[in-house]
Amino acid sequence: MPAERSVGMDHSHYPYSPLPTRSALTWPSGKPLAMGALVLLEHYEWDPPPDAYSLRNSSGGLIKLPAPDYVQLTHREYGHRVGVFRLLDTLERHGIPVTVAVDKLTAVHYPWLIDHLMQRDCELVAHGVAASQLITSKLSEEDEAEIITDCLDTLEKLSGNRPSGWFSPEGVESSRTPELLAAAGVNYVCDWPNDEQPYKMTTPVGDLVSLPLFLEVDDEFALWHRRASLASWEGMIVAAATRLHVDGQTSARHMMLTLRPWLTGQPFRIRSLDRALRQVTQLGGVWAAHGNDIVKAFSES
Amino acid sequence: MALPPHRVDYLPMADRPKISWPDEAKVALWIAPNIEHYEYLPPRDPRRNPWPRSPHPEVQGYSHRDYGNRVGFWRMLDVLDEYGVRCTASTNLAVFEHYPDIGKAMTERGWEIMSHGIYNTRYLSSLTEEEEREFYVDCVDTLRRHTGQDLKGMLGPAVSNTVRTPDLMAEAGLIYHADWLHDDQPIPINVDNGPLVSVPYSIELNDVPVFLHHHDTAEFVEMVKAQFDTLYEEGENSGRVMALALHPYLMGMPHRIQALEEILDYLLGHDAIWQTTASAIAEHFIEHHYQEFVEHAEAISAVHDAS
Repeated sequence: MPAERSVGMDHSHYPYSPLPTRSALTWPSGKPLAMGALVLLEHYEWDPPPDAYSLRNSSGGLIKLPAPDYVQLTHREYGHRVGVFRLLDTLERHGIPVTVAVDKLTAVHYPWLIDHLMQRDCELVAHGVAASQLITSKLSEEDEAEIITDCLDTLEKLSGNRPSGWFSPEGVESSRTPELLAAAGVNYVCDWPNDEQPYKMTTPVGDLVSLPLFLEVDDEFALWHRRASLASWEGMIVAAATRLHVDGQTSARHMMLTLRPWLTGQPFRIRSLDRALRQVTQLGGVWAAHGNDIVKAFSES
Repeated sequence: MALPPHRVDYLPMADRPKISWPDEAKVALWIAPNIEHYEYLPPRDPRRNPWPRSPHPEVQGYSHRDYGNRVGFWRMLDVLDEYGVRCTASTNLAVFEHYPDIGKAMTERGWEIMSHGIYNTRYLSSLTEEEEREFYVDCVDTLRRHTGQDLKGMLGPAVSNTVRTPDLMAEAGLIYHADWLHDDQPIPINVDNGPLVSVPYSIELNDVPVFLHHHDTAEFVEMVKAQFDTLYEEGENSGRVMALALHPYLMGMPHRIQALEEILDYLLGHDAIWQTTASAIAEHFIEHHYQEFVEHAEAISAVHDAS
């Protein structure tokens, strides 16, 4: 709906809230910066349903090739076979609990990997059906609600835990998504990269917490779409964390790194993440946490 | 699988049989110059336009690449000779007909010739099954006629493929396919009459995307060294493959050639590497590890089918 020229947001998902006017946020540990990592396990179908919507500039591969694009499909598949283990090893080495966004088709086709993630104490976040089936306003409300429930049910069945968090495939939502997530019992959503603290979303059927990701240091945004050099990306992560660590002494902040196994999990990229995390964790005063720990701390504050 | 159906079984790197390369090498390194010819007036393909910049001919793009065959190849060759590299040349096989000087230079050095199709402007994606079958006959015959070599593998022409490609390659006697970027080790590809394996190639450690779209030469050198360092560390536990994909029209430029020397200095300065060809990697894997990989993947899926 077009904006009305009146005070506040042009939608009803959350009110405007300038950060300096908020009461000070503190983390339970008293540390100024909460650091988390959201690793994305995304399934790209070689033959998506004809009415499915995918991004026009989906990443991976070389150029847009006529189907079947082996190059793009296998580049992405690298993450599930090889890259994910480098990310897990690196994050664990720096003591950062790993939150993993998993879509339904990944869970169905890679049961070994789901078991492995659970054994390594990862938190699973629900991530829709597939990266080749986005949730957009073109879906009916009924279909969208069904997709959300189906994804949560599948992950619960295959992992033993019902996810409390949600990240839409490619961060794409319809205008109904927050309400449908709240109706499905989801506790937090990662689709809105607009803040350095979690905040409350309200819907007609209940509240939801928005846990913003940090878009500019998102590996796909920085390294694939913007083609930042690895040295520049490493510097960005460290500079952002250093500043948030300072600003967080007034009111605590969080930083969620979004990492793709097929991208940062490549042999030549993993070393840059490793160096960045070594510097970030040396800041002291960093509370490394799962997404749901940060949300819980926010909700109880 | 996110791939043409049932081609690959899931085998996580964290749970695999160990690969041992000859002489306890940690990394099998293959270096792949792409020796290409893009046509001046290519046949029209409704699904892909090789020269989208202007109506054909597109003289600038054509000559940029032609530079590789006239100049860049010969400058690169001097460096490759200096380091004694045995290349796997990803070759548009019509190069043997258009540029016999290049064909002779490659065969004299004992390079492996990998098919990269006939021309880089003729794609597999629009071919019928019968046309694609004839295409492999042409590739096998052309290579044999000009070099006496048996064709062992392919990187699809301009990385084009069909869902049938692996079956038809294997039927024509090829043993490896380089279009799979899914792994750091060779992986069995399920085909009607095998064996066929993927040998890891790279579109990241590849001068085309790096120089045409993103980065300068120094960044490429850093990427290659970092890639090698990680694989060399990991290769301590189980052998890895590293591919370096090059194009004479880019890497053979005067402002860039020194980077190739720096790269080769670094890579070949390590002891535990096996600098070899893609077919040697495929053959070693098929002989020593293929069966174990297939059985382990079956065991992994059996556990989950039972649960």
